[in-house]
Amino acid sequence: MTPSTPPLPGTVTWFGRTLAAFIRRELVAMSGYRAAFATRLAGFAFTVIGMVFFARFVGAAANPHMAPYGGNYLGFVAIGFLATELQQVGVQGLARRVRTSQIMGTLEAELATPAPAWMVLGAAPVYEFGTAALRSAAYLWGATVLVGLELPRTNVLTVLVAVPLVLAAFIGLGLFTAGSTMLVRRSNPVSAMLGSLSFFVSGVVYPVSVLPSWLRAVGHFLPLTHVLVVLRAAFLIGSSPKAVGDSLAALAIFAAILIPAGAATFAYALRRARVDGSLTHY
Amino acid sequence: MPAASPASRAAAPAIVSVEKLGKVFLPPGGSRELLRGRLFREPVRALADVTFDVAHGEIVCMMGPNGAGKSTLARILGGLLLPSSGRATIAGHDAAASPPALRRSVSFIVGDERSFHYGVSGRENLRYFAALHGLDARAGARRADELLDRVGLAAAAERRYREYSRGMRQRLAIARGLLGSPSVLLLDEPTLGLDPVGARDLRAFLRDEMIRAAGRTAIVCSNDPTEARALADRVLFLERGRLVKEVAPTAIEAELGL
Repeated sequence: MTPSTPPLPGTVTWFGRTLAAFIRRELVAMSGYRAAFATRLAGFAFTVIGMVFFARFVGAAANPHMAPYGGNYLGFVAIGFLATELQQVGVQGLARRVRTSQIMGTLEAELATPAPAWMVLGAAPVYEFGTAALRSAAYLWGATVLVGLELPRTNVLTVLVAVPLVLAAFIGLGLFTAGSTMLVRRSNPVSAMLGSLSFFVSGVVYPVSVLPSWLRAVGHFLPLTHVLVVLRAAFLIGSSPKAVGDSLAALAIFAAILIPAGAATFAYALRRARVDGSLTHY
Repeated sequence: MPAASPASRAAAPAIVSVEKLGKVFLPPGGSRELLRGRLFREPVRALADVTFDVAHGEIVCMMGPNGAGKSTLARILGGLLLPSSGRATIAGHDAAASPPALRRSVSFIVGDERSFHYGVSGRENLRYFAALHGLDARAGARRADELLDRVGLAAAAERRYREYSRGMRQRLAIARGLLGSPSVLLLDEPTLGLDPVGARDLRAFLRDEMIRAAGRTAIVCSNDPTEARALADRVLFLERGRLVKEVAPTAIEAELGL
C-alpha cells in the first residue's frame, strides 16, 4: 500500500458506511427507474385493496374460527400480510442480492475490496428489512384509514420480545436460501416452495383451525406459523409473552438452529464459489 | 517519482511471490453425468506448477492464448479464487487466506463491463466502492472526484454507467482499482475492445501515471503483443496452465513468429 493509506475503520463504523452508501446508491438508482417505482406503488396499493376485500367479503360473516382473535378479521389478515412480507424479505433479501450481483457481475468486484463478504452482502437485507418495516407500517396505516382497522389491545411487551426472534428466524432462513442460491446458481430454489407452503399451512388469510390436523402438524415446522400466532396474539387480543410462550420458544429454537446452519451453508457456498470460480457465473 | 531502470527494479525485493501454483477446476456435471453416477465432469487443469517472482516496481506481462490460465492466475493473486496447490503471496500476505490487508495491497482491475451498477453514475458507483474501502461519505466523494479527474472522466462523472463508452468503462474500472491506494495492480486485459488510439493512450496513462509515477508494481494479463511491449519490463508466457518461457518485451513478436 502507499504510505498515505488510512487505517480501516472499526467494524460497526465500516458497516454503517457501507449500508449508507448502499442505500444511497439504491435510492439514486430507483429514482431513475420511473416504471419500477410505479410498479412498486401499484403493488402496495393492490395489497391494501386485497386486505380490504378480504375483510369485507370473507370476514363479513360471523365465523366461530375468528373468536380466538376477537372476531377482528381485518386485523387478522393485515397481520398475515405483514408477517408474510417480513418472511419474504428475510428469505429472499440476501439471496436476491447474491443473485443480482452475480448476474450484474458486481459481486467479484465487491469481494475484491477489503470489506469482508458479510459486510458486502449484508447491507441489502438490512435495507430491505428497513423498507419492509416502512411498508408494513404503511399497510397498517392504510387499513386503519380505509377500513377502520383498530388494534386497541396491543401488548407492546410481547411485540418487543417477539420482533428480535421473528427477525432472527427469518434471517436464518435467508442465510440458508442465499447459500443454496449461490450453490445452484439459480433463482432462489427454496423461497418459492417455502412461500407457497407457508401461505397454505401457516394461516396467512385464514386461521389454521380450519385445516385438518395433519396439515396443522406440518405448519408447526414453519417459522411463519409461530410468527403469526405470536403477532396476532400480541396485536389482536393483547396476550402477554407468557401466554404465547410455546410459540416464542419455537421461534427461539428456529433461530438457534437456522442461524448457525444458514451461516455455515452460506460460508460453504462462498468458499465453493472461490474454489470453482463461480462468483460471476450466472 | 522518476522511473527506476529495469536493472534496479529486477534487483528490488520480490513483492509478488508465486510458488508451484496449481489450479484444477471440477465443472459440475449435468443430468448425463448424474445418470452415470458422477457429480462432476472431467477435471480441467487451468494452472500447473507456476513459479515466478515480481520485484517491487516491476511491470510483468502474462501472455498466452485464450484459456492459457492468465485470468485464473490473476484471480488467485487477487484473493478471489483458491488455488488447488502451491502458494502465492503479495506483500507478505497469503492470497489463499485473502485477508483484508491483502485486498488493500492488491487491486484487481478487470476489463469486464458487467462489474458496475448500470443505473447510476460513474461517480455514484465509485462512492459506493469507496465505502467498501472504509471511506466515509465525504472522503469517498472526494476520492471519487479526484480519481474521476485523474482518469479523464470528470466531465462524465454524472452520466449513468450504461451511457459510458467502452473506453470510459475501462477508465472507470481503473479509477475503482485505485480507490484503496494499492501497491500492486492486477490488470486483466485492460485495453480489451478499445480502438487503437484509445488503447495506446490508456496504456501510456497506466504505465506512466498509475504505475511508474506512483511506484506501484503491476501484473498485466493480455494476449496482445502491442500491449505487452508498451507496458512490460518482462513477459512471461503461459501455455495450457504452465509457465513455458520468459522473454524481453522487444522479443515478443519474434517469439510468437509474427
